[in-house]
Amino acid sequence: MTAPGQTRPAEKVRDTACYVYGILPGDVELTPDARGLRDYDVDLVRHGEIAALVSDIDLGGPIGRPEDLTAHERLLDDAAVEVPVLPMRFGAVLTSREAVERELLAANHDQFLAALDEIEGRVEYTLKGRYEERAVLREIMSENPDAAGLLEQIRDRPEELTRDARIRLGEFINQAISAKRDADTQWAAQTLGEYARASVPRRPTHPEDAVQVAFLVETDRRSEFEKAVAKVAEEWQGRVTLRLLGPMAPYDFVVTPSPGA
Amino acid sequence: MTTAVQPAGGGGLGRPSGGGLADVIDTILDKGLVIDAYVRVSLVGIEVLAIDARIVVASVDTYLQFAEAANRLDLTQTEEQGIPGLMRDLQEGGAKYKTRGAIEGVGEKLREFVGMDDAERSVPRRRRRSGEE
Repeated sequence: MTAPGQTRPAEKVRDTACYVYGILPGDVELTPDARGLRDYDVDLVRHGEIAALVSDIDLGGPIGRPEDLTAHERLLDDAAVEVPVLPMRFGAVLTSREAVERELLAANHDQFLAALDEIEGRVEYTLKGRYEERAVLREIMSENPDAAGLLEQIRDRPEELTRDARIRLGEFINQAISAKRDADTQWAAQTLGEYARASVPRRPTHPEDAVQVAFLVETDRRSEFEKAVAKVAEEWQGRVTLRLLGPMAPYDFVVTPSPGA
Repeated sequence: MTTAVQPAGGGGLGRPSGGGLADVIDTILDKGLVIDAYVRVSLVGIEVLAIDARIVVASVDTYLQFAEAANRLDLTQTEEQGIPGLMRDLQEGGAKYKTRGAIEGVGEKLREFVGMDDAERSVPRRRRRSGEE
């Protein structure tokens, strides 16, 4: 019954929904202090032998603030150290828990279960390296007389007068770095691949990126792998600044092939 | 078997120190299972506010910057430690709105790990995002 003059809210407008972080085995239990996006409670929706890690969220506006992104990743990465996790890309939202169970879990149960079996006891690490600019430029100049010649042409001369030579030199440097990146990425993947179950190169995200590779590592070989990374870092000291991220959920090992693949 | 999902790092390596927002963005906006491939009917097209995952596009500006960096380089100097490039992460990529909705029809399958340790490891393909760059 609506009072006179009062406008009725639009029919069927949902104000809550179910955010899905990832898929886990059905026999896990949550610790009570697990927090999700925007500090929402985290819960499990179970079906058969699998479960979805979810939060009921308000649909009051867009999601994706920095805290939202880090909350999503932290929750999954922490879980991945303990149990196999299939991470969802950020932003997976369904209408309700019932929909999660019926459409996501029931409809894909066997496929998810098989994937969870595959990643049981494994975690991902991501190795990221950036060239030390001066070191890599010196390397390029000493290896390539043509580049060194171009450098002489522009040396201490104003940019307006040397623009073409600068562009040619810069393009040369860019290509030389690309070639080094390919070689260094391959070398790192091979060297560290001995301690990993699988590896996948990532696309560079910066012109001076030296290496970006994701590794899937057996849990009981983690320290071995980390030691091997430390050795690589030592070898590249002064040339490449390395960072190792992880252990994390295996984001790089659950993939989306193109349609029809 | 019952396993606890621990919310905070319990021993081991702990959280990586270098994992900043740029790293998180590269990972959780670019990798992971895409829900659209599994669910259609009950998908909620929520607006995702996010910096897009970054890719490198070499441009004339990049070239000019490289040339200037080379120009500043003192080749007579034997060895000097460069400035770590960590801070540069902050400047990469531009903030923009992005809506991830229910309209994508990309089929997704889980990668099979079986046989991956054979000599010929195949590299998993990534979804190519349409309409970008």
